[in-house]
Amino acid sequence: MRRLASAAASFAVVFGAITADGCHARRRGPTPLAGFSAPFVFGRFEVPADNPLTEESVELGRRLFYDRRLSGTDTVSCSTCHMQRLAFTDGRRTGIGVSGKPLAFNSMSLANLMWGAQRFFWNGRAATLEAQTLVPIQHPDEMAEDLQRLVAELSADDSYRALFAAAYGEISAGAISRALASFERTLISSNSRYDQFLRGEITLNAQEEWGRKLFTAHPDVKVSLRGGNCIDCHSQFLTSGFSTGLDGFSNNGLDDEELLQPGLQAVTGDPAHRGRFKAPTLRNIALTAPYMHDGRFATLEEVLLHYDRGIRNSSTLSPLIAEADNQSAGSQEGISLHLTEAEQGAIIAFLHTLTDEDFVTAERFSDPFVRK
Amino acid sequence: MRMNRTTLVVAVLAAAAVLYAAARFLDHSAQPAELTLQFHPFVGAEPLVPNEMRYANPGGEGSFEVRDFQLFLSNIRLAGDTGAYAEPDSYHLVRFDGPQATYLVTLHDVPRRDYKRIEFGIGVDPAANRSIQSRGDLDPNGRMAWTWDVGYKFVLLEGAFVRGGVRKPLVYHVGFDENYKRISTPFDAELLGTRDANLSFRVDLLKMFTGYATVDMAALSNVKFDRNDAALLARNYAEMISPM
Repeated sequence: MRRLASAAASFAVVFGAITADGCHARRRGPTPLAGFSAPFVFGRFEVPADNPLTEESVELGRRLFYDRRLSGTDTVSCSTCHMQRLAFTDGRRTGIGVSGKPLAFNSMSLANLMWGAQRFFWNGRAATLEAQTLVPIQHPDEMAEDLQRLVAELSADDSYRALFAAAYGEISAGAISRALASFERTLISSNSRYDQFLRGEITLNAQEEWGRKLFTAHPDVKVSLRGGNCIDCHSQFLTSGFSTGLDGFSNNGLDDEELLQPGLQAVTGDPAHRGRFKAPTLRNIALTAPYMHDGRFATLEEVLLHYDRGIRNSSTLSPLIAEADNQSAGSQEGISLHLTEAEQGAIIAFLHTLTDEDFVTAERFSDPFVRK
Repeated sequence: MRMNRTTLVVAVLAAAAVLYAAARFLDHSAQPAELTLQFHPFVGAEPLVPNEMRYANPGGEGSFEVRDFQLFLSNIRLAGDTGAYAEPDSYHLVRFDGPQATYLVTLHDVPRRDYKRIEFGIGVDPAANRSIQSRGDLDPNGRMAWTWDVGYKFVLLEGAFVRGGVRKPLVYHVGFDENYKRISTPFDAELLGTRDANLSFRVDLLKMFTGYATVDMAALSNVKFDRNDAALLARNYAEMISPM
């Protein structure tokens, strides 16, 4: 605890490479984003050198994010499936776009995207945030927009001409993707009660603190350590997946071998990656139901029950999930964490400390087309 | 006369250039060197092949497969009578699941001295293990981090074990300050004078189970927070890395 307090004291403002060299040299170039910061405990992050965060790119990105003209029918924007008040999710099992057909995946929360696994979508099929942004726009069931048509449509709008000129000097598909990615990089959630606790500003109540301890422990009966095993995929401060290699993708036992979906294997082709999906950040998890890549669980209680006694075995199941048990091994009854109901309740209480009211109400992340 | 003077100037300049080049060449030994350390993963005599149930339980019946094998290699140092070189922020997450099976560490700007030994640690030194600073590959939000109270896993081996048709998970996570092990092996300083200087090491993960004491995976299929078990594997893994 002492170490943590000192870390909280040095809650440093970390500036990334957000001031690209070219910005000042060019006359009337975009303005580097002022006052951009992130918690020390989140660790290092990188902004691509060819897409520095600037006031202009973030403002443009925010506008595009909320603009329905980004869909072929002018009825759907990014914010249709990524609503701020739900931490940029949509409350549905899986998203619904212009075609009205349910999509294959649950809409992911957009928070703290510069940390955790740096591949995007549940199966990691986009290697950069920039690449990610153009996929839903063009998908026939999501936004069904043709990029050339979109560029022409935006070029006919005076205000967009000015915004693009200031941010990127041109209107193009590349500039659209870079602006959207820039706005998304600013979506930092770092003022939940857990963040305040990490900064030493508040204490958690007894149940939350119990839940935190269970969250961060892999059980070990040999030393009487009880744990919920969450930390094996969700890092202690970020609560996201891991950024190294493909360590941020796991098979968390949702399906039996026969029903196992490709997951990361669809991207890498490696059979060892079958059924592995991205471990998302858990910031605001109480707001982002339903859960899992296909939205199969409606509540956090169901999620905890899954991890406690609902694990399906398969060849690529995480060995850490298969091995984790709060009771002595020996029984062959199947995989179970053997948590008590009270322990599951404590973990859920801790998960509620990850809700960040500022994040879901902040003006700078909100719809710029709404007149207040 | 004028031509001659020009010729003289050219000749003097040419001579100076030659002398300068010669001096640079002779001075090469004063330039810092680059040294690459190559780590090759083995299971006993065989190179490591992940995700294949092909290795015999070293301490009993059954066989095992390796899904993930990662370790921290810290504080690389070259030491001799006339001085030492220590790599700054020297924390490397050694892993073998990338496109190349070999893990490389390149040391830059190594002063050329008469080093006699190369040293490094398996694990994380106690000061860094107690910190949440990101240094080198240390990342408190990483897979190798336990929690800020406990520190880092030093060596991670995850996989599966099969005996009598029953498959069970293998989880070996070894950390704790006392299990930080320093390795020291002789170093030939002449290596620094060669082009593309590199040094190869064998990382034999089987030594974790056979080095000092033999471990039966059926009896000990997971090691996490039990200090005696962790110390046993650490005493074993202290012999895991050796020059090739």
